[in-house]
Amino acid sequence: MKVALFAPCYVDLINPEVGVGVVRVLRKLGVEVVYPERQTCCGQPAFNSGFFDEARGVARHFLDVFENERWDYVVCPSGSCATMVSHYYPFIFKDLPEDRERSETLGHSVREFSDFLVNVLGVTDLGAHHEGRAVFHTGCHQRRELGILNEPRKLLRNVSGLELLDWGNEELCCGFGGTFSVKMPDVSTAMADEKIAALEKSGADTLVSCDSSCLMHLEGRLKRTGHDTRVLHLAEILDPQKDG
Amino acid sequence: MTTSKPARQHDTEDRRREGIKSNVEGFNERSRKAIGDRQLHDAVALASKNLIEGRNKVLGALPDAPELRERAYRIKQETMANLDRYLEQMADAVEARGGNVFFARDGEDAIRYVADLARRKGARIIAKSKSMATEEIELNRRLEEDYADLDLEIVETDLGEWIAQLAGETPSHIVGPILHMSRQRVADILSSVAGEKLPPNVEELTKFARKRLREKFLAAEIGMTGANFGVAETGTVVTVTNEGNGRLVTSVPPVHVVVMGIEKLVPKFEDLSTFVQLLSRSGTGQKITVYTNFITGPRAEGELDGAEELHLILLDNGRSKLLGTEFEEALYCIRCGACLNVCPVYRQTGGHTYGSTYSGPIGAVITPLLKGDKEAKDLPHASSLCGACSEACPVGIPLHDLLLKLRNRQVEEGLAGRAQSVAFKGFENTMRSPALYRISGKAGRLAQKPLEKDGSIRPLPGPLSGWTNTRDLPPLAPKSFRELWKEGLKDG
Amino acid sequence: MADRAEFMERVRHRTRTGAYRPTHAPDVAWTREGAPLEKEPIENPPARFLEELEAVGGHGRRVRNITEARKYVLSLVRERDAKLVLRWDVEELDRMKADGPLREAGVEVAVWNDDLEDPKDVAARADIGLSTAAWAIAETGSLVLEGGPGWGRVVTLLPPCYVAVLPAKRVLSTVPETIERYAERGGIPANVCFHTGPSRSGDIEMTLAIGVHGPGDVHVVLVG
Repeated sequence: MKVALFAPCYVDLINPEVGVGVVRVLRKLGVEVVYPERQTCCGQPAFNSGFFDEARGVARHFLDVFENERWDYVVCPSGSCATMVSHYYPFIFKDLPEDRERSETLGHSVREFSDFLVNVLGVTDLGAHHEGRAVFHTGCHQRRELGILNEPRKLLRNVSGLELLDWGNEELCCGFGGTFSVKMPDVSTAMADEKIAALEKSGADTLVSCDSSCLMHLEGRLKRTGHDTRVLHLAEILDPQKDG
Repeated sequence: MTTSKPARQHDTEDRRREGIKSNVEGFNERSRKAIGDRQLHDAVALASKNLIEGRNKVLGALPDAPELRERAYRIKQETMANLDRYLEQMADAVEARGGNVFFARDGEDAIRYVADLARRKGARIIAKSKSMATEEIELNRRLEEDYADLDLEIVETDLGEWIAQLAGETPSHIVGPILHMSRQRVADILSSVAGEKLPPNVEELTKFARKRLREKFLAAEIGMTGANFGVAETGTVVTVTNEGNGRLVTSVPPVHVVVMGIEKLVPKFEDLSTFVQLLSRSGTGQKITVYTNFITGPRAEGELDGAEELHLILLDNGRSKLLGTEFEEALYCIRCGACLNVCPVYRQTGGHTYGSTYSGPIGAVITPLLKGDKEAKDLPHASSLCGACSEACPVGIPLHDLLLKLRNRQVEEGLAGRAQSVAFKGFENTMRSPALYRISGKAGRLAQKPLEKDGSIRPLPGPLSGWTNTRDLPPLAPKSFRELWKEGLKDG
Repeated sequence: MADRAEFMERVRHRTRTGAYRPTHAPDVAWTREGAPLEKEPIENPPARFLEELEAVGGHGRRVRNITEARKYVLSLVRERDAKLVLRWDVEELDRMKADGPLREAGVEVAVWNDDLEDPKDVAARADIGLSTAAWAIAETGSLVLEGGPGWGRVVTLLPPCYVAVLPAKRVLSTVPETIERYAERGGIPANVCFHTGPSRSGDIEMTLAIGVHGPGDVHVVLVG
């Protein structure tokens, strides 16, 4: 089994430990990992702001890069970026049959990280260990476009030392929404506060997600409001060589 | 100058205005007031929670709900594809039953028709049951102002709508118009009408409202409703209420006027089965509302109540523009309000922040479509695109995708502004060039050095200040993933 | 006034292919997990009707015959201390023979027909409205009321207390079944109303208020 790693731009530049965790987990499971080095970004920021032409430009580059490799799957540690490629590339290429076909073909092979582990590799227990009381935040694209709800939770329940708690308003968006977070900052922050209130009520000391973008937004607000909640991507918790 | 009679004292004057009501520009700026209002937030949160729980229970218990949803979509799709034919059929059916039909191109047309009718009938009071279409065209206020010589009193009879009207406020939720008001506020408003102090007790306030509005039902010459659905096959108009005012205004006054958006049509009577099941289950968590009323023409021969005259006003007001376009699905809406209940943005801002008759996700979609992008420029951006609305919609309207398309439309129309266009062009160029992308990363790491403090970026002015005003911003990592890969991760 | 032809021209069909493409969210309404409760065929429609009516705050009773129905109505009038009862002009209610006993007890009984000088005014003053119903719907606890000569709409709407008496065999199972019945038969009456329980509103602070415009006290007697 050989997979190509699609590391979102903010994983590449801000949270590389997430990508590292993914690689280590996959290798532990005997999967060969390649990383197409010419990849940059899926184009979602332009797309979300309505700049479809610009998004198409970036998307074509993405398609070029990933079509140039041989792999069984493309694995992405972000529900939102996996959705962009698998779900919205055909959307923006709706009237361009050639590109649409390329994106549909590629799209079938793009899998979000937890989805890949549980549904492709059939693995739910990685023998991982992490002390803490955690809540899991499902990113909106992951929930609605990909329908991946239980997979991360199955994986977390098998992490020894980790207590997975329920929390209120679980299905509410965290308020990131890409450029929304700076275009409508008061609303975005209020939405984060709603989630943080639920987090406090749950008694969790750890926040986990499969989307670093959501985590960046929530962690930014948690820190600013004096919380010392640990904020981690699923891959960091499952990483067999974390802390070293 | 002859002496004139003093102006008739009206209980209610409609001072409500559609459109951006506050002087504050921008959705985010207007949201601040709502965000700071703890009472509003708690009211919206509680209402949403109850409505969602109710909806999940009764819709979840319907075994064929998924099929109903798809069927609802297809019925609406078929209706829009042949709307001219169905409108003709509807008009013929209504006229065959003795009703009158008027085709109103816009609000002005509709209001003029009502004014002429009121004049002919010598009407002084119009008793209204809730109709969003009439609010959209500001019927009440324009009748009062532009046709002041008619001295019409137009009374909203839905409890919440009446109270909002008295307060000069617009409703803030499709289903719960005065979600934003405390009971004390309601008591104050009704006390000033009663001329005595009423306690903030729901039962007492309701009793007063019932008594007061009863007088209007019995005195009104014209009863006015909207329509939840119109059946082309039979000419039937369907209204759905819980209070009973919808049935009262169509049973007591001698004239019944229906203002119906043209998109409310369904082809056949049996199609109602799908929609009646979906509407209240989705919107209020009820299996059915207290009054589901089917009106086909004026009263029958021998009936002693029911309207003697029925006037159906079919309102376009911009809807036809959407037919056959990528935005047509916005017309499939049945106004259940489910999207408002699940919207995380609406949860924080309430309805008034949207500054339009229609708020929440459907409001953000339909307002720019009916009123044009310039007037409602912010609304497509008042969303994090989470998709909860599309998930909740019982007709399967892809609301969050429509918001995206509206953003794209703004870009194509040149409304996005120069700074953004330049920025995203730059973004595209950077992301199409691995070399440029890597250089930007390295440059960013250099540039951030003086700004880093305790592991995060110190608050910045400019576009990112929106973020750093309230949230910490993480710095770029000392080594990118790609660098780590090349420096050793690649080989294990 | 907008020209009708001009109006239609604007509305004329433009070809469009839309696609029904729901999101994949595992929403409780759109995914089928576990056996849903409602649509198993309703074995005892009258019993289910009474359950649903109670659940929305109405009062229902099944009685064996028209004599027991009369007893129910008489005792309701007594309980409510009603002075004026307004009823539909229908043979079934004639046969119930409640008018006599009521008048003997000093209660005014008005019948909805053109003998009344101002029928709507009577309805506005009545303490109790009494009618039959064309059908009832078990699934939701709804009455199906048709308008027609002798079948005053406001009889069921203006008085604060309302009671309907109908044969139990008129209880249909579901809303779709009921709508289909009207769809198939054609000739929809000028007014049909599915009336379900007491009038209500949650407008003030999401607090339930009963009897806002329509009757707050709703009774249904199923006979047979």
